[in-house]
Amino acid sequence: MTLIATDDFKPRAEPASTLDPRRRSSARVRLGPGPAIPFGMQIGSIGLVVLWTLGSALGLIDPRILSAPWTVIEAFGKLIAEGRLQEHFTISTWRAVTGLVIGVAIGTVLAVIAGLSRWGEAIIDGPVQIKRAVPTLALIPLLMLWFGIGEEMKIITIVLAVIVPIYIHTHNALRGIDNRYVELAETLNLSRWAFIRQVVLPGALPGFLLGLRFAVTLCWVSLVVVEQVNATSGLGYMINLARTYGQTEIIIAGIVVYAVLGLASDAAVRLVERRALSWRRTLSQ
Amino acid sequence: MPRITYPLLSLALGLAVASPMAHAAEPLLDEVPPGTVLRIGDPVTQKALEISGLIDELSFEVEWANISGGPQGSEAFRAKALDVSTVAEIPSIHATWTDLPVRNIAYREREDPIAHPVYRFGVTPALGDQIDGLEDFKGRRVAYSPGQAQGALVLRALEAAGLTRDDVTLVELPSTGDVYPVALAAGQVDIAPLGGVNIARYLSQYGDDGARTIDHGLRDDPSHLWAPQEVLDDPAKAAALAEYVRLWARATEWINDHPEEYIQGYYVKDQNLSYEDGKAAVEQTGRQVIPSNWDEVIERHTHTIALLAEATGNEPFDAEDLFDRRFEKLAAEALSEGSSATKKQELIQ
Repeated sequence: MTLIATDDFKPRAEPASTLDPRRRSSARVRLGPGPAIPFGMQIGSIGLVVLWTLGSALGLIDPRILSAPWTVIEAFGKLIAEGRLQEHFTISTWRAVTGLVIGVAIGTVLAVIAGLSRWGEAIIDGPVQIKRAVPTLALIPLLMLWFGIGEEMKIITIVLAVIVPIYIHTHNALRGIDNRYVELAETLNLSRWAFIRQVVLPGALPGFLLGLRFAVTLCWVSLVVVEQVNATSGLGYMINLARTYGQTEIIIAGIVVYAVLGLASDAAVRLVERRALSWRRTLSQ
Repeated sequence: MPRITYPLLSLALGLAVASPMAHAAEPLLDEVPPGTVLRIGDPVTQKALEISGLIDELSFEVEWANISGGPQGSEAFRAKALDVSTVAEIPSIHATWTDLPVRNIAYREREDPIAHPVYRFGVTPALGDQIDGLEDFKGRRVAYSPGQAQGALVLRALEAAGLTRDDVTLVELPSTGDVYPVALAAGQVDIAPLGGVNIARYLSQYGDDGARTIDHGLRDDPSHLWAPQEVLDDPAKAAALAEYVRLWARATEWINDHPEEYIQGYYVKDQNLSYEDGKAAVEQTGRQVIPSNWDEVIERHTHTIALLAEATGNEPFDAEDLFDRRFEKLAAEALSEGSSATKKQELIQ
């Protein structure tokens, strides 16, 4: 990042007053991060994989602690050939997507209610903040007590995890809407519903989409927690079963699937973000 | 204090004293009433029943749960999410002390427990050449899980070696998943009981670094079905449990008689292990047998309760309270004549 770097910048060379004013304006200071590097987002991750491969190949990484990439690829081949991965993947996807859809809906409604009314905030904000501070794993015993050990409990756990980021970011963006728009809407005598549709939702959209980015990765991550309780299927179950038998390569294969799923979901939301927020002119362009 | 309080107080006290005695004493129904649903957490038997086809003989509806062992089982019992599960010796004792009334309704053991132990003590790689037997535990850090079978085994091993708990450092650590082999490999504990495939895997992974396992020479194989008291108090559920206990016995017999199908169907297909790992696990188990009399196991339980009570500071109680004798004969009687799962010594007696 270039903060103060001009062609002819020489510290203590001359007093500032003698600088040619025209030259100064032509070499304007650039404060933004500059143009995007092609595939810039991937460089760090690829570097990590290269380090892993080299470390394993050179024997610097103990395979009992971290399996080599080729062992993991072998495990992938076996899991796919036997149809295990597809099977676990399908059921996990169903759980994650169901939880995500319900959680996003609830989180958005809660954020709008808490954002637009003081009573709503008084009632809703506290519990959501509490949920935010409590790890999902700690809630499992209670959720079992209330909802049993079936699918219901698993979906509800994911829903609870998803609500938090959606709520926090949507609520935050909503509260950040400029008062001028609210006054304008009042002047135009907009109904409450029209105000929500035309001012609140578009205004909160950037926050909602940021929340959604957290939520999509979180709903996948939650699987590893919910599928520890009475599951016989799903990626989390696959990882836990492998853990029981110390099959490190399958554990890593599962983690790779999580990473790919998380990144892909995140990329999808960012695509939507770019389309939906094309009116914005920000640093990211 | 008003006069009325005394009768009320004595009544309350009387009830409090009487309530533990109020276990199900009613005889079991011969048939399972229609509409009965049993929620069973016994994944291994479930697989054996599925592979063998015995599952078709169940006359009532079952909701299978992938839950077994003490910590998970008692958690599900407390949540009223499960009716019966599978467990070793300790969790039912621990549950009683933590106000979860449960009782064992079936018991099986390994035919030759000394040659086929469930657990071996793993030794951390750095001390492989220094620890040869139980008496070498003195001064070492031993992984200890108070609510699990592994915990009692540690106490019994110390007792067998003539050591007390003060002679070692007990490191409280639950034995779930791969916690114990990982703790040993990382040198966080010196000694930990390992079970199942962890024994072979620990040796193959860390044997070159000095890791080893040692035998304890004790019986460590009790395997029970256990159920919460309130489930046993429900006549319909109790009848369904009786039917399940009989089928559980026949599944045990089937596993004894069909090792190949069991390795393929359970270890390879369901648990994603290699054939060799599955075969090793089956050989490690050996044959499992079911006695028609619980006197011996209750006697052993009495000793374990005393041992645990001393270690945990809890009140000892009568081991008889942990067993529902209505179920005592069911399993053994469900076996065919000359069955591989019948406990042989009893025939001689």
